[in-house]
Amino acid sequence: MKFLSSVKKELILATRSFYFYIELLFAVILLIVLLFVIPEHISVQQDQYVYLDMPEPAAEYVMQAMLLEDTDGKTESVTITSGIREYSAKLITKEDAKVYLFDNRQDVIDLADTKRNVGAVVSITDDGQLYYEYYLQGYETQRLKSLLSILHNADSDLLEQRFDEQEVRVLGIKEEALNDKVNAIPPMLAFNCCLMGMFVMASYIFLDKKEGVINAYAVTASSVSQYLLSKITVVLFTSTASCLITVVPLLGLGIDYALMLLLLLSSAFFSTVLGLLISSFYKDISQAFGMIFFVFVLMIVPGISYMMPSWDPLWVRFIPSYPIIQGFKEVIISNGDKAYVWIASAGFIAVGLILFFITRIRFKKTLSI
Amino acid sequence: MIKVEGLYHSYSNDENYAVKNVSFEIPKGEIFGFLGPSGAGKSTTQGILTGLLKLQKGNASVAGYDIRHIKNEMFNRIGVSFEQSNVYSKLTAKENLAFYSKLFDVPARDPLELIKLVGLDGKENVKAGEYSKGMKHRLTFARSMINDPELWFLDEPTTGLDPAIAETIKNIIKKQNEKGVTVFLTTHNMYIADELCNRVAFIVDGEIKLIDSPRNLKLKYGEKMVAVEYVSDGSPVKETYSTVLSEDKERLKHIIDSREILTMHTKEATLEEIFIKVTGKELV
Repeated sequence: MKFLSSVKKELILATRSFYFYIELLFAVILLIVLLFVIPEHISVQQDQYVYLDMPEPAAEYVMQAMLLEDTDGKTESVTITSGIREYSAKLITKEDAKVYLFDNRQDVIDLADTKRNVGAVVSITDDGQLYYEYYLQGYETQRLKSLLSILHNADSDLLEQRFDEQEVRVLGIKEEALNDKVNAIPPMLAFNCCLMGMFVMASYIFLDKKEGVINAYAVTASSVSQYLLSKITVVLFTSTASCLITVVPLLGLGIDYALMLLLLLSSAFFSTVLGLLISSFYKDISQAFGMIFFVFVLMIVPGISYMMPSWDPLWVRFIPSYPIIQGFKEVIISNGDKAYVWIASAGFIAVGLILFFITRIRFKKTLSI
Repeated sequence: MIKVEGLYHSYSNDENYAVKNVSFEIPKGEIFGFLGPSGAGKSTTQGILTGLLKLQKGNASVAGYDIRHIKNEMFNRIGVSFEQSNVYSKLTAKENLAFYSKLFDVPARDPLELIKLVGLDGKENVKAGEYSKGMKHRLTFARSMINDPELWFLDEPTTGLDPAIAETIKNIIKKQNEKGVTVFLTTHNMYIADELCNRVAFIVDGEIKLIDSPRNLKLKYGEKMVAVEYVSDGSPVKETYSTVLSEDKERLKHIIDSREILTMHTKEATLEEIFIKVTGKELV
């Protein structure tokens, strides 16, 4: 009865606080972004500026060869504006790049400088070989520079042979490839639905500290645990609501919602308890901001690793947001690893309970007049 | 109802004590005033007795419970009103009291009755955040009665209230006491202490300097004087005489017999004057 009264009170307070609406609004914004902004397949078309510094027939020959890769097989006359200047070019649209052909070298150099794209001048040497000059930006990796160095110098057959000799091992043969839109859902759920709980909880606690109501609660026949649990319950409720707002319209009924809720609630429980623990060490949110910001930045790191699969160091896997993101991915994949989700959830519950125990002691200790 | 022996408390966990060797006992049904200036250790003592601060050294029992091992059930029998108002600003007065009424295992008083008692009727559905400081203070005071406590801790219950409202609060305290409620009153207001308390303790720099009833203190420390205003040769004259010295007594008798008396009253020392006399400190 006491617990239910506390939950009811926390729900009333939450609905009268802007944090509640911010969380839900953010879920709606995420939904809109995922529905209308992020495409199912993100294609990165790079702009390239090229001048064919060679006699007309040779230039025509090279252009015709390039047109074989054009999406509609013909060039398009375009004008590029940079500052107050306009540059005329012929556009060849490939699947992975837009190649602008200019009729003088200086235009390529100018645009490579102002538009921050790769520029290239292709000429013919005295012995009839193609000669490539690249205008790079300076921040390209050594790997790319080396690749460009050998690309036109080495024997193409030899390169192809070397490529074929590379040993490729497929690690996850059952892995289902998610499209770019769905692939963006796990980190968004992790941050908006699970980790946001840490901030919201800290905000609620600091509001209570500011109003002094924790002391008033402490002199009732209700326990500190009930006070903390009622807050956790309300934050879990809003986390679930914001998660469903995002997930249901995007994924429909095609996923295991019970499994998703298990991971969501367990990880949000861990996150909210972490928020409680942090807030027990500080008097107000301005004092706690440094620590909250540090934890948030740390939690972002696995999100970066998720978006850049080639960067996946072992230590990142120990950051709690890593199993949350990977867990949501396993839930979304139709043949995902359910055991991973179960183990991750059990881990969050276990660690959450330990932190809750410590937090309870902290709150009992730090009640002051 | 309260028994305290050798109580010490240090916020810095060293020898720098906010409360030093404090001992007292409060029987059931008494209004006990804990008087002292700001920073004297009053609220610290109340904090320890209500479980908000850990008991570091000494012994204390409240309503029969050892406060070294406080149980939640103890709070069914005590009420605490804080010096700083601490109510949920986003809840109405009625919602505030209704919520707290559910946190006890004993029958609670009707929130609307309490709201009316402290003069907030008509404002019960207004959010506490929209209340004035005094109104919030009254709501905090009302909340401390929600479980109909046997032992009532009141920290500066009339601070910041206008005289009329302060009078109402004093009357409520008196009535509760008449019903048998024991009151631990923490204040630096000597007038309210003088009016309400059966006994008072003077606390300065964390130490209790004395404990006695206001009457005894006045008898012990007050100068036994009578101020008389009479008419002499058509003009009013004011004089003060000792009720102890024989020549003053004779002179006073003569004036009463031979002059027209305009006013005459005993000149008692106030608790504040006694406090300053005993402790050498002002009540600020």
